[in-house]
Amino acid sequence: MKKNLLKNNAVQSLIASLICIVLGLFLGYIVLLFINPSGAGGAILAVIKNFLNSTRANLRMKNFGNTLVKTAPLLMCSLSVLFAYKVGLFNIGAAGQYVAGSCACLIAALGWGWGWLPCLLFACVVGAVYGAVVGLLKAYCNVNEVISGIMLNWIGLYTTNMILASVKESTSNYTLHVANEAPQAILPSLGLGKLFNNNQYITLAIPLSILLAIAIMIVLDKTKFGYELKATGGNKNAAKYAGMAEKRNIILTLMIAGALAALGGAFLYQTDYEQWSVTQSSVPGMGFNGIAAAFLGGLNPIGTIFASYFIQHITNGGAYVDLTKYSSQISDLISSIIIYLCGFVLFIKYAINTGIARREEKQARKVQAEAAETEKGGDA
Amino acid sequence: MEAPYAIEMLNITKRFPGIVANDNITLQLKKGEIHALLGENGAGKSTLMSVLFGLYQPEEGVIKKDGEVVEIRDPNDANALGIGMVHQHFKLVECFTVLDNIIMGVEPTKYGFLQKKEAREKVLALSEKYGLRVDPDALIEDITVGMQQRTEILKMLYRENEILIFDEPTAVLTPQEIVELMQIMKNLAAEGKSILFISHKLAEIMAVADRCTVLRKGKYIGTVETKNSSMEELSAMMVGRDVNFHVEKKPAQPGDTVLEIEHMSVASKLHKKDAVHDVSLKVRKGEIVCIAGIDGNGQSEFVYGLTGLEPLTGGRILFEGQDITRAPIRQRSVKGMSHIPEDRHKHGLVLDYTLEDNLVLQRYFEPEFTSKTGFLRRDNIRSYAERLIEDYDVRSGQGPVTMARAMSGGNQQKAIIAREIDKDPELLVAVQPTRGLDVGAIEFVHKKLVEQRDAGKAVLLISLELDEVMDVPDRILVMYEGEIVGELDPKKTTEDELGLYMAGAKRDEVSA
Amino acid sequence: MLLLIQYTLIFSSVLLLVALGGCFSEHSGVINLGLEGIMVIGALGGALMMRFVPLTVSPFVMVVLVILGAVVLGVAYSTLLGVACINLKADQTIVGTAMNMLGTAAATVFVKAINTAANPDDVSSTIQYAEAKKAFLVNIGGFEFNWFMLIAVIALAIAYVTLYKTKFGLRLMACGEHPQAADSVGINVYKMRWAGVLISGVYGGLGGICYILAGVSEWRFENGVAGFGFLALAVMIFGQWKPTRIALAALLFGLFRALSNVYFGFDFLVSLNIPGSIYNMMPYVISLLVLAFTSKNSRAPKAEGIPYDKGQR
Repeated sequence: MKKNLLKNNAVQSLIASLICIVLGLFLGYIVLLFINPSGAGGAILAVIKNFLNSTRANLRMKNFGNTLVKTAPLLMCSLSVLFAYKVGLFNIGAAGQYVAGSCACLIAALGWGWGWLPCLLFACVVGAVYGAVVGLLKAYCNVNEVISGIMLNWIGLYTTNMILASVKESTSNYTLHVANEAPQAILPSLGLGKLFNNNQYITLAIPLSILLAIAIMIVLDKTKFGYELKATGGNKNAAKYAGMAEKRNIILTLMIAGALAALGGAFLYQTDYEQWSVTQSSVPGMGFNGIAAAFLGGLNPIGTIFASYFIQHITNGGAYVDLTKYSSQISDLISSIIIYLCGFVLFIKYAINTGIARREEKQARKVQAEAAETEKGGDA
Repeated sequence: MEAPYAIEMLNITKRFPGIVANDNITLQLKKGEIHALLGENGAGKSTLMSVLFGLYQPEEGVIKKDGEVVEIRDPNDANALGIGMVHQHFKLVECFTVLDNIIMGVEPTKYGFLQKKEAREKVLALSEKYGLRVDPDALIEDITVGMQQRTEILKMLYRENEILIFDEPTAVLTPQEIVELMQIMKNLAAEGKSILFISHKLAEIMAVADRCTVLRKGKYIGTVETKNSSMEELSAMMVGRDVNFHVEKKPAQPGDTVLEIEHMSVASKLHKKDAVHDVSLKVRKGEIVCIAGIDGNGQSEFVYGLTGLEPLTGGRILFEGQDITRAPIRQRSVKGMSHIPEDRHKHGLVLDYTLEDNLVLQRYFEPEFTSKTGFLRRDNIRSYAERLIEDYDVRSGQGPVTMARAMSGGNQQKAIIAREIDKDPELLVAVQPTRGLDVGAIEFVHKKLVEQRDAGKAVLLISLELDEVMDVPDRILVMYEGEIVGELDPKKTTEDELGLYMAGAKRDEVSA
Repeated sequence: MLLLIQYTLIFSSVLLLVALGGCFSEHSGVINLGLEGIMVIGALGGALMMRFVPLTVSPFVMVVLVILGAVVLGVAYSTLLGVACINLKADQTIVGTAMNMLGTAAATVFVKAINTAANPDDVSSTIQYAEAKKAFLVNIGGFEFNWFMLIAVIALAIAYVTLYKTKFGLRLMACGEHPQAADSVGINVYKMRWAGVLISGVYGGLGGICYILAGVSEWRFENGVAGFGFLALAVMIFGQWKPTRIALAALLFGLFRALSNVYFGFDFLVSLNIPGSIYNMMPYVISLLVLAFTSKNSRAPKAEGIPYDKGQR
């Protein structure tokens, strides 16, 4: 008997994600039509093409590299969200943990002159501590992790602005250039930049983030720790009954999630691709986009790699739209529509499954009816 | 001429994917009678009542009210036809008052504002008339189960329902409350209400019902007048053969004490008092001790305290001579305590895990299943799962990789029993291990418990089923309001005596 | 001092309105994490009115139109939550989060489009309403009374009466506590949950426009509403889902939020020489602490967050 490919969970997740993407782009297109019908198609294409919009090949490569540079932190944030979600926790605090990591690596690099590895590790530790706060509040005070996460996002933002004010440029609100003031803290490029038309922002961060995604997958699927975490996420009463240390697991999970998101911050700021603005009054969207990527990737670490790239791809693509007609935020709009649609993934899978079940039942009845027919025929 | 039947359900068929829950069932309820609907778990009683109440639509068959065909699409239709139901699990909002719960859905209002005064008068009048004692201003969460049930009955009367359905109403009541309920039902019938009484307890049916319809495995077996019938006949109709509930076993040969509990107390989540108060008992090797009692008398909390799911507020637990009062759950489990939990979905299984992953839930950390580096040894897990599935006849669609969620309740329970018994525990704590199982599976579980005993292990059984309490254990301890009120020998006691203890009407000083 | 009271009252009004919105939604059984997004969209509705309604209309008409704009868009936006969480049984956390991001992104895109259409060089996401805003203000001896303070009090009274004195309130709360019970007495759980969500759209929209009218006379929509939707949720939890307690909690939180706006007006606060960021984060720190101490014994509606499925009884 032919095995129904649609029954496979991974295939279903992929289909659901593709539906989300297509619908998201389509709805984005409709919004653009409302704003200005003349350029809507071109704008959506520009978003989808991203670096392919560049006419020169070498520039294309460089811009592809730039997309990858920002994919690495996004992937880390989405791994953070994914990891926590496996334990049944919604880590919206990834945004704040990302900020905490950025703050830690920048102050260590610019303020204290640390090398790249200590900076990276310091960011990890700070992120883990920041994540642990959410975990402790959840485990011991029953505080909803979404609300505490949001509060900590803002607290983190203001604290970071305060701390980084000590290492900002005197003429602007931006922090000093890491590449100029603290070159020792720049992540090693491993010669990868050459592949992307000498893009100096390409570093170790990109391969490392992919390796971490694979590591997360192994931890979740192959180890005792992953078994415990997923059991806690699936049924925390059963986990407790089986003697798993539920509170410890919650805290540990959020520490790891915090460290992952914080690494994301370090992966961006230790390339000097961006500078931190100490007057910014909204939490960077990286952590929130991480939620999008995690769910779009079907909560699978490998799927998340592709989903993160896709989200970053369209985010960067936003810069290529005709700015006289639309704003670059249309890519934010599209990715938020996609997250909204991701809320329906279960529903889509359910629809696929009921569809299959119905068809099978019909077929079974047909077979039965046919069998009955032949039996009658035999009798006669 | 007036139609003799208040409600007729004619040739009802209701299918669910994979099963026919009701297969051509006919039920006719006369006006002013108490009509029992008898059947085992899974016989189709609840489905049939859900059809009558508009919760499900039947594929075939008609429902007639006073001789006329009616269509019942939802509970509103049922209510409009004067059909009311006391559900097995009460449909009461816990943080509302009794009065609010009664009027909900048919609130008297003026310009949209609630007019509670007239509602209260009506409720008080009704409770007077039928002898239903309630305090209309008490919150549901503060009152007894019996009073909650009376609230449900008042809900129907307030709506002036003529046809009253009682879905297993006695399961949660003490014998005294049951007697009271029987009287209330008779009063209601005398006032002209027609009553459908769903039960699998023969004695109650004989005591209160005029007629009885029996279902078995979704099929209609027959309808009899109770005064012309006997318990034996009803029982045979219900199970399809003469049942021998008796469990075959040799006399117990108790050995050393395995478990010793001294003055244990556990706090309640529902009220300020202790749910378990000053309980002391011993369980020895080679015996089955049963804690009997009516649901909600502290048995659950006792088990939580014993297995470590809840902390004790007093007393201590000695397990094989060692004090484990404060030991974590894992430590108790490793020392040799197994626990078949009361609620398999809440505690027993991770429904989104495969069967094999659920089968190692208590042992995954052992060297057999986890390597020194922390990686799971998948091969070993698989072969272990395959062995348990074979030994305990756990049936599922895809064997070890079936999702627990996709398995039937009975097989889920078997998987848990396999996991807990195969751990080779010194003490097996089995809480209602046969809940929701069919007769064959029940026999299987009972046999396994006796096997454990005969292998020299200690078994602590917590049960609500009288048959089980009388047949399986070697000693019975009765729990009432969180205390052990009596120790009985199942060979010498009677169900009547047991009932008196369970109801708190009789108690001894037990030193156990 | 007067300034502090003024800011406290206006911020409290915002928090009260939004928290009451959350309260309705949660009593019906739907966790509304999308309040932040609803606020943004509501604010957009009001701001658009202020931008496009000619200033020649009377202040009263202006107030009514702005409120109408905020309410209509707030309600319309909340349908996204309703469709997803009530009809399609989506995960309420994901949907709420998506709505927050979508709210800010959509408002930004939309306002930028309007600005660019009016003036090709203007790519900002800011709407100015210095003149129109005056319709809301009454100066009473140096104290700037904002009509929203009154609206918040009225909204509180309405919420209290609706929840505790009407048939609707009784049924709504039943759906959040025990939807099966509500269903069994013929209450349409889906309808009641929709009502709860839409009411939270009304309140959230009002709160949104009130928020951007609070201090400034222009709003940059890229900034969203700075976590106020979540502060309101904290207020709601602190208020234990009860309107009167929510009002008290809103006053407390409003005070701390106001301090960050006016601390430089107090000599002793200035002399402490605390960076402004500290005051900015105060409300969030306070709510975190408050939550830590109050979440243990929460009286949250029992069935909130669980999609109701008629099939599973």
